[in-house]
Amino acid sequence: MKSKLALAIILATAATTAVSGPVEEQIRFRQSAYSFLGWNTGKIKKQVVDHPETFNKDYVAAAANAIAAVANSGLGELYGPGTDQGTGWKTTRLKPEFFQKKEEVTAAANTFNEAANDLARVAATGDINAIKTQFGKVGESCKGCHNLARIKE
Amino acid sequence: MKVTIHIWDLPLRLFHWLLAAAVVAAYITGKLGGNLIDWHGRIGALILGLLVFRIIWGFIGTTHARFINFFPTFSRLAAYLKGGWQGVGHNPLGALAVFALLADLAVLVSTGLFAGDDIAFEGPLFNLVDKALSDKLSGWHNLAFDLLAGLIAVHLAAIGFYRWVKKTNLVVPMVTGKKQVPKAVATSLTGGGALRFFTTVIISGAVVWGIWGGLEIIKPVESAPATVAKPSF
Ligand code: HEC
Ligand code: HEM
Repeated sequence: MKSKLALAIILATAATTAVSGPVEEQIRFRQSAYSFLGWNTGKIKKQVVDHPETFNKDYVAAAANAIAAVANSGLGELYGPGTDQGTGWKTTRLKPEFFQKKEEVTAAANTFNEAANDLARVAATGDINAIKTQFGKVGESCKGCHNLARIKE
Repeated sequence: MKVTIHIWDLPLRLFHWLLAAAVVAAYITGKLGGNLIDWHGRIGALILGLLVFRIIWGFIGTTHARFINFFPTFSRLAAYLKGGWQGVGHNPLGALAVFALLADLAVLVSTGLFAGDDIAFEGPLFNLVDKALSDKLSGWHNLAFDLLAGLIAVHLAAIGFYRWVKKTNLVVPMVTGKKQVPKAVATSLTGGGALRFFTTVIISGAVVWGIWGGLEIIKPVESAPATVAKPSF
């Protein structure tokens, strides 16, 4: 009996591992994805908000496309069970409540995805004022999810 | 027998209401983020200036604004709790709240200077500390705000208590600067003056200007000079 249970556990673990990697790997990729987002939002902020005189349409469009690509990559896969505990590049800051608030978080994530795709569309036009407005919406959507799902240190 | 005295000077009243409005605005912009977050930084700068102003004014301002005249010492607190305190400015318990508010505000503003939201906003001194410390300070910034919200609730509750239980209106004096007090303890304010006021404003402005990039030493280091070519991929 005990060995059957152990076997079941091993198989179940192996199954989740096969799909999305062990817990720590999910956390590590998640943190990498968000860091990369932060790099790109920083670039847009610099050229569109802080120093509009340096605005370069292609540079900003590339950053916006990178953000949209990450948004469309299916980050939900990196939020497997148990990933509120563990260490990726550093100890995870995912709130345990994430798993109880699934609907709210899904809504927040979808808001972000839509805002990011809209930003990529607007960035392609090179209209700096429209980009700035849409960039603000993306920033709000990042913040909305952080307020909901990310532990304040 | 009651007489009307001049209790709060104009700079102090301006400080109070500007601070109240700025804290509300900082809360809203800090929570919402997006393009409003830059206003959070600007309002934070205003609050830092107001705080420096209030601290200096606490030493060289008018009578009832001076810390030494209302510092809640043990003997004053004990006298107040036994019902034997007499005075017209902040009472010793209220003074405790004033110092708690100012101290927490100082923590809030100073942690904010090093904080970052990981999205598109950083305090002006973000680059002076490493990221792990900045993350910690961002966390404290949040905690300091929660504490401030609690202190403000106590502050408002006390004002309500005075208004409806003790039948004393504390809000009107903070607007008009005038208060009706028993003749025995009536002391109108003295001190202050335009010269001291402008000196205080200039020092406060200089502190804000220095922190927000005026001083070269605390400017962030550019990652590489523009003349160094980077790979073109
Ligand atoms: C679906 C919710 C969600 C959205 C949307 C979101 N984040 Fe996050 N973010 C998180 C969570 C959760 C963490 C903590 C990850 C961990 O530690 O496991 C995080 C962490 C981060 C980090 C720190 C990464 C590290 O470990 O160093 C950065 C930077 C970041 N997010 C930036 C952004 C930016 C920029 C956006 C918008 C463009 C964004 N995030 C949108 C949930 C979200
Ligand atoms: C009394 C003045 C201030 C108040 C009331 C205030 C309040 C807040 C609030 C409510 C938040 C949102 C926290 C959350 O998302 O839960 C915030 C975030 C932030 N504030 Fe302030 N703040 C003040 C001053 C400052 C100053 C002077 C700075 C420096 C420029 C600053 C920098 C920041 C930063 C960088 C964040 C983002 C932190 C994060 O998301 O973790 N704040 N602040």
